[in-house]
Amino acid sequence: MNRTDMAQDAMTQDVDAATRPQLATSGEILHVRDLSVQIADKTVLNDVTLDIGANERVGLIGASGSGKSMLVKAITGLLPRAARVDGDITMGGTQLQAGDDAAFAALRGRYVGLVFQNPGAALNPVLSVEQQVGLPLRLHYDLDAGERRDRVMTMLERVGLPASLAGSYPHELSGGQQQRAGIATALITSPRLIIADEPTTALDAIVQRSIIDLLVSLVESAGASMLFITHDFAVLSRATTRCMVIDRGRIIETGDTTALLRDPREPQTRSLVNAAKTLTLNVNPEHHHA
Amino acid sequence: MRYLIRRLIWFAVALLGLSLLVFAALRILPGDVASVMAGTNATPARIAAIRSRMGLDRSYPQQYADWLGGLLHGNMGVSAISGRTVASQIGAHAAVTLPLIVLSLLVALGVGIPMGCQAVLAGSPRVRSVLHTIAIVGGAVPALWGGLLLIMLFGRGVGLIGILPSQGFPDAGWHAPRAALISLILPTITTGLVAGAGIMRYTRACLISMEDSDAVAMAMACGMTRRQAMLRVGLRLSAAQLVSVAGLTFAQMITGVMVVESLFNLPGLGAMLINDVGNRDLIAVQSELFLLAAFFLLLGLLVDLMHHALDPRLGEQTQHAGGEGSTHDLGIR
Amino acid sequence: MTSVSDDGKRSKRFGRGGHTTGNVPLRMRFGVIIRSMWHQSVGRFALIVMACWIAVSLLSLFWTPYPLLYTDGGHAWAAPSAAHPLGTDGVGADVLSWLMAGSRTNLVIALLTMLVSAVIGLACTAVMISGRRALASAGVVVVDALIAIPTVLLALLFAVPFGTSISVIVAACGMTYGLNMARIVKPSASLAARSAYVEAARAMGGERVARVFSPISCPRLSPVLAVQLSMSAGTSILAEAGLTYLGVGVPSGVPSWGHTLTTSVRLISVYPLTVLWPGLTVTLVVTALYLLGDTIRDCADPLANVELRKLAAAVGRQTHNTGADA
Repeated sequence: MNRTDMAQDAMTQDVDAATRPQLATSGEILHVRDLSVQIADKTVLNDVTLDIGANERVGLIGASGSGKSMLVKAITGLLPRAARVDGDITMGGTQLQAGDDAAFAALRGRYVGLVFQNPGAALNPVLSVEQQVGLPLRLHYDLDAGERRDRVMTMLERVGLPASLAGSYPHELSGGQQQRAGIATALITSPRLIIADEPTTALDAIVQRSIIDLLVSLVESAGASMLFITHDFAVLSRATTRCMVIDRGRIIETGDTTALLRDPREPQTRSLVNAAKTLTLNVNPEHHHA
Repeated sequence: MRYLIRRLIWFAVALLGLSLLVFAALRILPGDVASVMAGTNATPARIAAIRSRMGLDRSYPQQYADWLGGLLHGNMGVSAISGRTVASQIGAHAAVTLPLIVLSLLVALGVGIPMGCQAVLAGSPRVRSVLHTIAIVGGAVPALWGGLLLIMLFGRGVGLIGILPSQGFPDAGWHAPRAALISLILPTITTGLVAGAGIMRYTRACLISMEDSDAVAMAMACGMTRRQAMLRVGLRLSAAQLVSVAGLTFAQMITGVMVVESLFNLPGLGAMLINDVGNRDLIAVQSELFLLAAFFLLLGLLVDLMHHALDPRLGEQTQHAGGEGSTHDLGIR
Repeated sequence: MTSVSDDGKRSKRFGRGGHTTGNVPLRMRFGVIIRSMWHQSVGRFALIVMACWIAVSLLSLFWTPYPLLYTDGGHAWAAPSAAHPLGTDGVGADVLSWLMAGSRTNLVIALLTMLVSAVIGLACTAVMISGRRALASAGVVVVDALIAIPTVLLALLFAVPFGTSISVIVAACGMTYGLNMARIVKPSASLAARSAYVEAARAMGGERVARVFSPISCPRLSPVLAVQLSMSAGTSILAEAGLTYLGVGVPSGVPSWGHTLTTSVRLISVYPLTVLWPGLTVTLVVTALYLLGDTIRDCADPLANVELRKLAAAVGRQTHNTGADA
C-alpha cells in the first residue's frame, strides 16, 4: 500500500504543477477549525481557523511570541505534552485528535514535511547526510537499501548538494548546506504540504536568497502546498500568494499577500510591516533572535 | 587520533603524578614499618636488619625509584605483615571485588536507564513524579543501610523471606561458581540499586533536556512518534553524557562496594585495603592504592575516549569548545 | 553516590541569560528566595528538615536524654524501651542520645565539605577558563584525570598518615566533589567570563587575583553552585556513613550518624528494627539536601521566579531614580 503511494508520489513529482487537476475546494490539504492551545494556563493560540488548498502557498507573519511556531507545532502534533488543545485539525483526509501521537506521526514526514529554522540544531548530529535525508523513507516506506540510496542521491542533486557530501555529518557542512539537507529531508517523500518555519533566519543574507528560491521552486515543481513563516517581506511577496497575520495567538488579518503588504488594515500588521520593511533592506539575522 | 595521543600522554603524566602523591602521602606517616614488622619485642638490631632488607634505610628518591622500577617489572613488593607478594594478594581479592563491581554496574544501568526513560516518557504525570521521587530518595540511601534492609528482608536465617545467603563467600571461590554467584546476589543488588538511582536521575535529566530540542522535533517531523524520537534520538544524543556519568558513578560506587563487602563478609579488595591500612603495612598499601587509583584513571580514560567516539562533533577537536548554552552541556563532558 | 549535576534545564536557562538580579541587595534577594521556596511543597519539606537538623544539632550541645559518656553497664545491647527509645549499644550507651549528638558532627562535616569543595571547585574552574591556553588546557586534563579517583581511596590514602578524623573525610570529599563541581560549573563560567558583568569587573581594574576570580563570582553562577553545594553536602553525609563503617571515618568516641548506623548493624541481631531510625534520618536529610539545591535553583532563577523579577524591577527603578550606580 505504502509502496504504491510512494510510486505515485514519485511520478507526480515530475509532472508540471500546471497540469495537475486543480481542486478548488479549500481545506483539501489542511483544514484547521477553532484551534486553541493552552500551556500552563497561558493561552498561546486562540480560535485559529485556517485552510490551505492544493498548490497554495500561504505565508504566516507575526511578532516574536505571537504564536507562529506554536501554530506549526499544533498542526504537526509537536506541542509539549503539557499543552491543552481544543479544535479540529484535518490533514490528508484524517481528522486528528490532539494527543493521538501515532496518527500525527503517520502523517509527519509523509504527508507533511517540515523545514526547521535552525538546521544546525535540528539535524541529527550522529547521522550522515544520506542517513538523515533517507530517514523519512525508512520510517514510512519499505524500500531496500539500494533503492533508498538512489532516491536520496536524486534528492541531494535536486537541492544542490554534491554527492560527495552524502557521507558527511551535519557539523561538517556550512549553514547553507545544512539547510539544503534539511529541505531534502522534508521533501524526500514528496509530501503534499511543506511547512517552513523561518527556514532562513539562521543563514546569512546571500545564502538566504538561494535557499528560498530552491524551496519555492521545489515545492512548485512537486505541486505541493506550503505554509511559510518568515520575517522577510520580499520573500513573502515572492513566495506566497496568500498571507495571514497572527498576533497574541489570534489570526487578526488574512488576505492576498501583495494587497496586505501594501495596505495593512490592523494597526499590529502595520507596525509589523513597517518594522519588516527596514529589516528586509538590511537583513541581519541577529535581529530575528531579539 | 590527535586527541587520543594527547590523552594518552596526559594519562602517563597523571600516572606519574599519582605515584608521587601516593608515595609522598605514605612517607609522612609517623609509624615505623620496620618495627611493626618485627613485632613488639624485637631487638633494635633486628629492626635495622628488616629496614635494610626492605630498603627503608635508603633516601626517599632512591626508595621511590626502587618502587617505581619494581612496578614497571610487575614487582609490587611483599607485604610486611603476611609475607605474601602484594600481587598475589590483590589477585585473590580482586576475584571477588571485580565481579561484584561489574555486576553492580550492570544492575545500575539495567535498572537506571529504563526507569529514567520511563520517568520522562510515562503517560501519566503521577507515574512520572513517583519515579522522580524514587530516583532522588534512592540516591539518598546509604549503601550500608540499604544492605541491612535487604538482609532483613531476604537474608537466610534473619530475613522475612530468608532465601539468599548474606554472609561470606564460598571457600572454594569461583571453583564453586553457583555458590559464588549466589553469595554475590544481595551485595550486587545493594550497590546496583543505589548507583542505579543516580543513573536514573541523570537519564531523566538528559531526556528532559532533549524533550523540546530541535533534534527530537526533527526526528518526529520525519515520522517518529514522540516515544520513538526520544528513545532513538534523545537517548542516543545523551549517550555521550551518560557514559561519563556512568564512569563517575562507577568510581563513586566503590565506597558502597567496600561497605557492602564488609557487611556481607566478602573477602574483597576493600577488606584487604582496610586491613592493610589498619596495620600500616606500608609496602602493601603503597602498591595497592596506586594500582587501584591507576585502574580508575584508566577507567576515566576509557570513558573519555568512549565519550568522544559517541559524539562525532568532537571528532578532531581537542577541546569541547562549543556546547555552551546548548542542550549538550549538562556539565559532564 | 555521585555529585554531578543532574538538572536538565540549567544550561538552557543560562544560554538565554539576560536577566540578572545582580544589582539587588543580597539580603532582599535571599528573603524573596526563601519565601518562594516555602510556597512549594518540595521546598517547604527541605526547609523544615534543614531547620530540624540545625535545631537538634544545637539542642544536643546542651541536652541529650542521657549524657554521651553515660554508660549503663547492666543494660548493654538493650532492646528499645521507654528509658532507651532506640536501645543501647555494646557499652550500654543510649543510641538516641548518640544519634542526636551525631547531627552536629554531620552538620560540621557537611558545612566544611561544602566550603572545601567550593574553594577547590572554583579554583579549578578559574584555572580551566583562564585566558592562558596552556594553563587552561592543563587544568582541564588534570581535572579530567583526577575526577576518576574514588573518594574512599583518597580517604584511605589520607588515613594512613593522619589516622581517622573528621578532616580526612572533609579532605577526601572536598577534593572529589570540588573536581566534580569544577567540571559542571565550567561551561556556565566560561559563558559568564564573556558577559558584561565580567567585562565591567575587568574594566574597573582591580588586583590580579580578583580578575581571575571575577568570572566565577558572577551572580549567574549561583544557581548552579547552589545545586552543586547541596549535592556535596548530601553526598558527604553518605560518605561519612560509609567511611565510618569502614573504620576510616570519624574516630570512635565521636558521635556521628555513621557511628550510630554502625552500632545498629551490631544491634541487628538483638532488635532488628533499631536499624530503621539512623538510616531513615540519613536518607531523609540527604533527600532534603538534594531537593534543597533543586528548589534554590528554581527559586533563584529570575526567569522562573516572578517574585524575584518584580523585586529586581523595583530595585532597578529605585537605583535609577536616585542615580545610584552599582
